[in-house]
Amino acid sequence: MNKTFSGSLAFALVIAIIVILLKIMNWVPLSLQQETIRRYGTVDEVRAALLTKDLSVPSYFPQQITWPPSLILAQGKPYFASVMEFTRADTGEIALVISQSEGETLRVEDPIEITVIKEKVRYAMRGREAMLTVGTCRNDEPCSGITWQEGRYTMTVLMKSTPFELTKIVESMR
Amino acid sequence: MNVSLKETLVANPWVMSISSFFNSFAGMYVAQSFCHSLIAAVVTNQALKAWRIHDPLVSQRFRFLIILFPILSFPFYQMINPDRGSTLFRLEALFDINRWLAVEIGGLVPVALLFLLLLALTSLIFFFQEMVPVVRNTLDSRQPDEDRALLETGPFLENAAQTLGIKTPEVVLIEDDEPHIFSATGRDPAIFVSSGLTKALDQRQMEAALAHEMGHIARSRRPLLIIAFILRIIMFYNPVVMVKFRKAIRDEEKICDDIAVTLTRDPTALASALKVFYHKIDEPPEPQTSSRPPKGSIEEYSHNLLLESRIQRLESRSMDRSTGWGLPFVVTLLTIMVLNYYIV
Repeated sequence: MNKTFSGSLAFALVIAIIVILLKIMNWVPLSLQQETIRRYGTVDEVRAALLTKDLSVPSYFPQQITWPPSLILAQGKPYFASVMEFTRADTGEIALVISQSEGETLRVEDPIEITVIKEKVRYAMRGREAMLTVGTCRNDEPCSGITWQEGRYTMTVLMKSTPFELTKIVESMR
Repeated sequence: MNVSLKETLVANPWVMSISSFFNSFAGMYVAQSFCHSLIAAVVTNQALKAWRIHDPLVSQRFRFLIILFPILSFPFYQMINPDRGSTLFRLEALFDINRWLAVEIGGLVPVALLFLLLLALTSLIFFFQEMVPVVRNTLDSRQPDEDRALLETGPFLENAAQTLGIKTPEVVLIEDDEPHIFSATGRDPAIFVSSGLTKALDQRQMEAALAHEMGHIARSRRPLLIIAFILRIIMFYNPVVMVKFRKAIRDEEKICDDIAVTLTRDPTALASALKVFYHKIDEPPEPQTSSRPPKGSIEEYSHNLLLESRIQRLESRSMDRSTGWGLPFVVTLLTIMVLNYYIV
């Protein structure tokens, strides 16, 4: 019994050390490489940290959407990718997600997901061809999404709203 | 859209392909199973040390955790929490391997490429050192050999087979001056002994060596062991699993030593029999007198690696039996499960 107890104590101590080492190991790449994926507070921070002006942000926001974004994640390597989440002013729930990526789109937790697609049409936007999807999310909420190619980036904007507001936001993106 | 200020931000197509792979389900499975097995290995080693577990039978059970756990861990965790792959979860995880894979050494060579090379090298070693000998051995043992000479072993083998509850194997003599002994564990088990070994060992030592092989034959009938050995193939690319699998095989040798000692009640006989093989390693290589390659390469490989510690163990008679290992095993398993959940 004594052997088991002292063994358990030693084991617990070693596990605590392993956890600390893992935390340090997880931090090292962030300190080695600025472009490693991380959370940012503002759009300007992303632009400064990744030395890019490529990050597209809408200049038009409907009143119900809160500025600044509630979440900004971005990386510069192995390819540029960012995701911004915006919340609804009244309820605080995520209402708009803007993704921009040279490769795979960054996956956020509990994303806006169009569960029932009612319409999927091609949409001409500032001389570019986009794909507009209209449907409903969970709880039968109206949702819409649009995706297009902007140079080397794949842009995806998803919104818990009708396509009318969505297209206005997308048209204002620079 | 504005033009980027920094040209280096333009991603390399092949770097993007590697990155896309590690973001796919298959890539995440490969990368996370590697991390999970590494953590399982570290935790298991510490558990064996902390609870002073030296019994090879128990150590082997702990090592099977390292081999089997990563096969199912990733799909299991994803089933519990599908958002585990999200960027936010990864950012807040205890360890995210993708952070390391995205690092570029000197701004040129991505760690992901080196990691892929490590996996490819492990796969090649697995194929040539494990799969090819096993397939060759299986094919060889299926070929009927009408002219094979059987070795007379007296009542010892029958008694031992009865004790172990297995069919008495045939003992086949191979004409070879090198000392070899190995067993074929199929439906009709057999032990193959080289003529060189029959000259090198006295009767006591030969019985101990045969008892060890009987141990292998008896253990090869355990379904859990068979399943573990088959499932190990899924982790062919995993270097941690490869190392730990080989350690599990070494444990198997010690387990069979214990079985042999139980059957012969003479540990020194087996220790001195093993010295025949041990001395063979130290001596300069002699010209091969036989063209027949040694069978059971994995087994022989582990024999050669561990002969010294096996001899010491037998001579010091430190074949301790661990009791009450159930709680440490459960604690180790739970620790591995909880830690690895936060390792993505």
